[in-house]
Amino acid sequence: MIQFSHGATKQRLFSDLEKGALDVTAKPSRQGVLDAGIDKLSITWKLSSTAKKQANFTTINVNLCYAPVSQVDRPWRRTENELFKDKTCPHKIITRAYNKSSQSFKYTLDRDILTGTYFVHTYAVDAKDYEVAFGQSTNEAKTTNLFSVQAISGRHKSLDIASVCFSVFSVLALLVFFVNGKRKAKLEQSK
Amino acid sequence: MASNEEGSIGTSMHGVTAREQVYSFSVDASSQTLQSDDPTAKFALPVDSEHRAKVFKPLSFAKPHMRAFHLGWISFFTCFISTFAAAPLVPIIRDNLDLTKTDVGNAGVASVSGAIFSRLAMGAVCDLLGARYGTAFSLMLTAPTVFSMSFATGPVGCLAVRFMIGFCLATFVSCQYWTSVMFNGKIIALVNGCAGGWGDMGGGVTQLLMPMVFQVIRLAGATPFMAWRIAFFIPGFLQVVVGVLVLTLGQDLPDGNLSTLQKNGQVSKDKFSKVFWFAVKNYRTWILFVLYGFSMGIELTINNVISGYFFDRFNLKLQTAGIVAASFGMANFFARPFGGYASDLAARLFGMRGRLWILWIFQTVGALFCIWLGRASSLPIAILAMMLFSVGTQAACGALFGVAPFVSRRSLGLISGLTGAGGNFGSGLTQLLFFSTSRFSTADGLSLMGAMAVLCTVPVAFIHFPQWGSMFLRPSSDGERSKEEYYYSSEWTEEEKRQGLHEGSIKFAENSRSERSRKVALADFPTPETGTPTHV
Repeated sequence: MIQFSHGATKQRLFSDLEKGALDVTAKPSRQGVLDAGIDKLSITWKLSSTAKKQANFTTINVNLCYAPVSQVDRPWRRTENELFKDKTCPHKIITRAYNKSSQSFKYTLDRDILTGTYFVHTYAVDAKDYEVAFGQSTNEAKTTNLFSVQAISGRHKSLDIASVCFSVFSVLALLVFFVNGKRKAKLEQSK
Repeated sequence: MASNEEGSIGTSMHGVTAREQVYSFSVDASSQTLQSDDPTAKFALPVDSEHRAKVFKPLSFAKPHMRAFHLGWISFFTCFISTFAAAPLVPIIRDNLDLTKTDVGNAGVASVSGAIFSRLAMGAVCDLLGARYGTAFSLMLTAPTVFSMSFATGPVGCLAVRFMIGFCLATFVSCQYWTSVMFNGKIIALVNGCAGGWGDMGGGVTQLLMPMVFQVIRLAGATPFMAWRIAFFIPGFLQVVVGVLVLTLGQDLPDGNLSTLQKNGQVSKDKFSKVFWFAVKNYRTWILFVLYGFSMGIELTINNVISGYFFDRFNLKLQTAGIVAASFGMANFFARPFGGYASDLAARLFGMRGRLWILWIFQTVGALFCIWLGRASSLPIAILAMMLFSVGTQAACGALFGVAPFVSRRSLGLISGLTGAGGNFGSGLTQLLFFSTSRFSTADGLSLMGAMAVLCTVPVAFIHFPQWGSMFLRPSSDGERSKEEYYYSSEWTEEEKRQGLHEGSIKFAENSRSERSRKVALADFPTPETGTPTHV
């Protein structure tokens, strides 16, 4: 139900994290809008030359996050400074132990990814599972290197056919009763 | 209680001019074959002179009164399930169809707007074709729209389908109309309250039902985006089944079906233009329109927004938010009948004035709790405020339909329709103003809506009946205008009165004397209308 957090971590803020500690790139497998469940992303991350807190890095969490354009007029995807309230990143891509050298991963977009515009974001987490630093595949304003995904529709031909059949039955049944009723009333009158 | 007018039933001059309205029990063939001369003996429940039941037995299914009651409320219940089926699934639907908050809000407005027109039309349909066909049309012609949710792919499709599904809320009018012709005025508020309340419960049940159905379909292996579409087949199917039941088991009027009675000359066919004119001309109709807009209207709005509100603000799971939202709608089971009962009780003690005060009190108190709901920032307080709000508002709905049947006899159906349409109008308006933009948070929207409801309940003080008075004014002291017969026969022109078309209204007027306060009724024994000498 309501989010609990372990003591002091309730106040963990995004603004406290070290910016740009990791250099992240995300390259789509093809141009244009990507299809969920089919297309791939080539993701690489490595320690940035400007990073300071790398002694604490234990694990790297790689996430798929909404770009601002996909958050407009959608308060359920809001970016919040308090980390536990933040809803910017709906999908976990992969978690890997921290390694000084450059890492890469070929990610096939999950089938349940929603239609929208995204970027890739990584959190560097310490041994206690607290976020320490982050890096992202886009600039600070989140306007460059974005890519779009098209979700599956959920429609199916068998559903469409069943829908039409039931609808026709409903209208026909009503017509039959109505015409029958009128006929009976006429018969009663002529009696 | 027959009047001493010339030619009225029971006098020796009855039938002489051949222009009097023929009453059903004098031509009904079956009553003539009965051993006793009492035509009311064929009914399972005791009835009044219009053959409307004087007693309400909710556990009985006796033909025709109780059966009409049960078919009526079940039809209405099913339509509520369909109309608000999308609401608890909005978190899934908004992901699948890529909706923004504005899209969700607009679809909510659309879901209640269609019924503004269909409720108006339904009033006329009931007056002209009978409640049975009205109900069946509503159920079976909108079932295809429920099934067509499977075709929606974006915000426009979603809005269009929800708009069309919303048309089925017209069953409210046919249901209330059906009970109003089947039950006597002394208990009508309680009966209408039960029928309306148990029907409205559908808005609560759907918040539980749809997430549950969705879950079951997902467990059966469907993806979420297919599962919610399949889930919509359940309400659609229910509508078809109930529609067939209404047509096979139901009966329009205590004495038979409307088309049969009309062809036998037992019920006169009225002209739509007249029915419409007298409904629209009566200022009380419009006050009821506004009042219902801020009792039922805000209830419909809450059905659309409350599940999402608890999901987003208090971070509840989909099913949990559904349970909380369902409690709002489920309170209808006792809250609305309670409102009707309180109205009937107040009428017994204080007459129509009591009914009007009860209406004002319930609606204002409900709206105040709505303001509190928006302010509440902890889950337990929010739930408490929501429950108190639901009881107040739903009781107000029940109390309003204790007043509505007395506003007109001739245009009863159309007034039910107009009032019902007012409910939807209020809902569309409040959703548009407070829940479709990012200007207000949902919490602020709730408080503002409550404040607006308090203001818009004040007009109830202006409803005045010359024969019974109003909240603050006494009944007219004029000898003629203070009679119920004067009020109800003023809906007919002189020409129509000469043809005896208003006889039904006169009967109704006699039965409505119960709306005088106890003091007045005891002091004022029924006296002959004309100036005939008291000696016989």
